[in-house]
Amino acid sequence: MGPLVPFIHDRDTAGFFEAAAGGRLVVRTCADCAASIHPPTAHCPYCGGWNTGWRTVAGTGRLHSWTTVTHQIHPAYPTPYTLVVVAVDEAPGVRLIGTLPGAPALRAEQPMRVLFETLPDGSVLPQWRVDEVGVPT
Amino acid sequence: MRDRCAIIGIGATDFSRDSKRSVVTLATQASLAAIADAGLAPADIDGIVRCNHDQVTHNALAAAIGVPNLTYWGETGPGGVAPCAMLGQAVGAILSGQARAVLAFRSLNGRSEVRYGAGVQSPGVQQVGGFGTYDEFYLPYGLLAAGQLFALIAQRHMIQFGTTSEQLGALAMICRRNAERTPHAQMYGRPMTLENYLASRMISTPLRLFDYCLESDGACAVVITTADRLKDAPHGGAYIRGVGLGCPPDMKGGMMFPITTRTDMTEVPGYIAAKALYRNAGVGPEEIDVAQIYDCFTISLLLQLEAYGFCGRGEGGPLAESGALNHDGRMPINTAGGNMSEGYIHGMNHILEAVRQLRGTAANQIAGAELCLITGGPLPTGSSAVLRKAS
Repeated sequence: MGPLVPFIHDRDTAGFFEAAAGGRLVVRTCADCAASIHPPTAHCPYCGGWNTGWRTVAGTGRLHSWTTVTHQIHPAYPTPYTLVVVAVDEAPGVRLIGTLPGAPALRAEQPMRVLFETLPDGSVLPQWRVDEVGVPT
Repeated sequence: MRDRCAIIGIGATDFSRDSKRSVVTLATQASLAAIADAGLAPADIDGIVRCNHDQVTHNALAAAIGVPNLTYWGETGPGGVAPCAMLGQAVGAILSGQARAVLAFRSLNGRSEVRYGAGVQSPGVQQVGGFGTYDEFYLPYGLLAAGQLFALIAQRHMIQFGTTSEQLGALAMICRRNAERTPHAQMYGRPMTLENYLASRMISTPLRLFDYCLESDGACAVVITTADRLKDAPHGGAYIRGVGLGCPPDMKGGMMFPITTRTDMTEVPGYIAAKALYRNAGVGPEEIDVAQIYDCFTISLLLQLEAYGFCGRGEGGPLAESGALNHDGRMPINTAGGNMSEGYIHGMNHILEAVRQLRGTAANQIAGAELCLITGGPLPTGSSAVLRKAS
């Protein structure tokens, strides 16, 4: 049983995965009102415009919430693993998911940093790790 | 809509770990029981509303029970949001003249066949997402099931408000104590202590086994018609006082996982459904005598206590431990045990228990109950209803 990999050809969301394959974290952003839109849509629900596009962000964030999964339900996702919700810097309201190995001790608002994980089918996922102060990632 | 329609019949199968029969058969049995309870025949039914998750279609059920002509059918959203939304849609169909008697049902082999707790399975490497599901942002990370999403929400509530496992456990125990005394509940006669709760195995921190509802096989159905027909119903019924649905301004697409990007992950859409409900019903939370609150997890129950105005934001934990929600408290909840301990019929069982309370036939009968709240949801949309005792 293999893992679940992202469908990377959706006409609204493909750009996110294309950028990840190039080592960049991008957020759908409205050029008219500057709102960050996630999940990404072509239309800006905030100002009603259609002038949206992809914007590269720094790739840092803050830990918003987490859960350590201890009951395994899929063979490709052995437990324990820890799901994190990361509030993305420079993109108000955007929160992305990541997976940390094992069951680390965590605290709210902990700094996080993106890294890019290549999956078995060649697709690339932005992933997150705790951003240890002074330790290059 | 206030009191212009009523539920005049309720029906259910047994709730079990293995029904040993098809979802169509379960739906047929519950529906025929509800129609008989209403003093009607299948030929009197001309509308059917269903949950989007149900495997049984309106035409499959109509064929199985022998409805000669269906003039109305509709879907009402996924999962737990459906039951109260079915009541709302049935009222709309009846008051607009599209149907005279509407059957609302939910049927699932949620334990023996399709377990929601099993999440998304795949035979090999499998692409997921696209087309407005947004699953591509969630499933590949191993965020696979509702029980993991609600764990993220529970952890956030603990960060924001200091909510404790003991407070979640208090809600699990309230449901269990009510089920213990309800003969048809799966946890009938099976007590649970706080020690039992805390010792149950961790599934996805901070949620334990007994924070999760009881995956079940079974079906429930109700018959809705105009209120003037209550007088001919052999067992009476309950007025549909009001229905309230709501999606918040920062509603997100997809099934459920994108709610992690809502402004506040711990404010469920029930808060906005509650405004519509209380306006439509002309009552407030202080007038509710008994409530059946959607409880796919303990945390979902807690969040809705806050959303429907029984306490302030962040105060669900202290309310859970206060005793007010117990069978002998000021506002008893989930009096048959709910999804947690009666059976997970996706909240349809909550509507049946509300009718039993207002008929005066519940196992844990609340004396003098006049108004019963039912909630559904809780992600990414909310639904709710108030039923009133028939006069």
